[in-house]
Amino acid sequence: MPAAFPATAAPRTRRLNLKVLAAGAALVLPLIAVLLFNLGRDPHSVRSPLVGGPAPAFALQPIAGGAPLTLESLRGHPVVVNFWATWCVPCISEQQSLTAAARGLRDARFVGIVYEDEKPRIEAFLAERPLDYPVLMDPGARAAIAYGVSGVPETFFIDGEGRIVEKYVGPLDRQTIAALVSKARGSPR
Amino acid sequence: MILAAIALALLAAPPPAVGPPAGVPLSGAALDSRTEQVGALLRCPVCQGLSVADSPSTMARNMKQEVREKLAAGYDQDQILASFEQSYGEFVRLRPPLRGANWAVWLGPVVFLLAGGALVAAALRGSRRPPQAAAAEHGGLPDDPRLAQAVHRVRALAYGSLEETPRKTGSPR
Repeated sequence: MPAAFPATAAPRTRRLNLKVLAAGAALVLPLIAVLLFNLGRDPHSVRSPLVGGPAPAFALQPIAGGAPLTLESLRGHPVVVNFWATWCVPCISEQQSLTAAARGLRDARFVGIVYEDEKPRIEAFLAERPLDYPVLMDPGARAAIAYGVSGVPETFFIDGEGRIVEKYVGPLDRQTIAALVSKARGSPR
Repeated sequence: MILAAIALALLAAPPPAVGPPAGVPLSGAALDSRTEQVGALLRCPVCQGLSVADSPSTMARNMKQEVREKLAAGYDQDQILASFEQSYGEFVRLRPPLRGANWAVWLGPVVFLLAGGALVAAALRGSRRPPQAAAAEHGGLPDDPRLAQAVHRVRALAYGSLEETPRKTGSPR
């Protein structure tokens, strides 16, 4: 009578299932963790490898004319390099803050570098809303590529030694500019 | 041991360096085709998953031009990729270099494929044995018919009906 009943390997099967479950979990859980961890994170927002290192040198023609402006000539001052374009709405909104900061923070040097825009459009724009700091043309996006720009506005804060202390992506407000210029000065305000 | 190897691989990740031109200056058709090849390895930073060679954007065109000039000046592929990496980070490389944690990206699929294959093979080997034969190897049921009936019902519920479940009257419950 007992032999008539098929005796399944109940305990063994259960152990095997646990093993399979553990193996599956070991494979799948890290993947889920990676997905959850990175969900909602912009894959394009990678930390710039330039931060902490020397700022790429540039010698660019100011739109107002005159000799090319070099980063080297600004040594000894905190430098704010702002990449912008007339077609970029947040760039235009942040320019008020940049202009105000350029007036307030006398020791800092502000520079605007044009990103993917045409000279006549920039000139027309500046005729209407003049900026207090030099605006430089960047033919072939040489400077933009050297600085790893992948959109505008992007702003770099450089210390007196020519090192990038911070890269800021997106429109800046006055407080942030002041704080980051302080950082570039090397003295917390 | 494995952890130590991983740690070593992470530490051994070499920082990219450019240095003086290490290749032969290119021109003409060779320059054109090399520019496309190297451009295909660079990510267009303003696009979604497009290479510099494939993207029609201004930024990609400018980057391609820079690749072209560097090739014409005698820089080799590794130097050019390294120079872009200095500005944009490793993200700019469409094909992650074999270093540091990137080993996982390259070896991961192989490891997963092997592990999956082993699992499938194990499952197939297990299922090839008829359940009756597998069952016969492992002990019988309790001698008490009532208990045996109960065990049998539980097994039928847990593992599916292995044979007709005797439905007698007087089953427990």
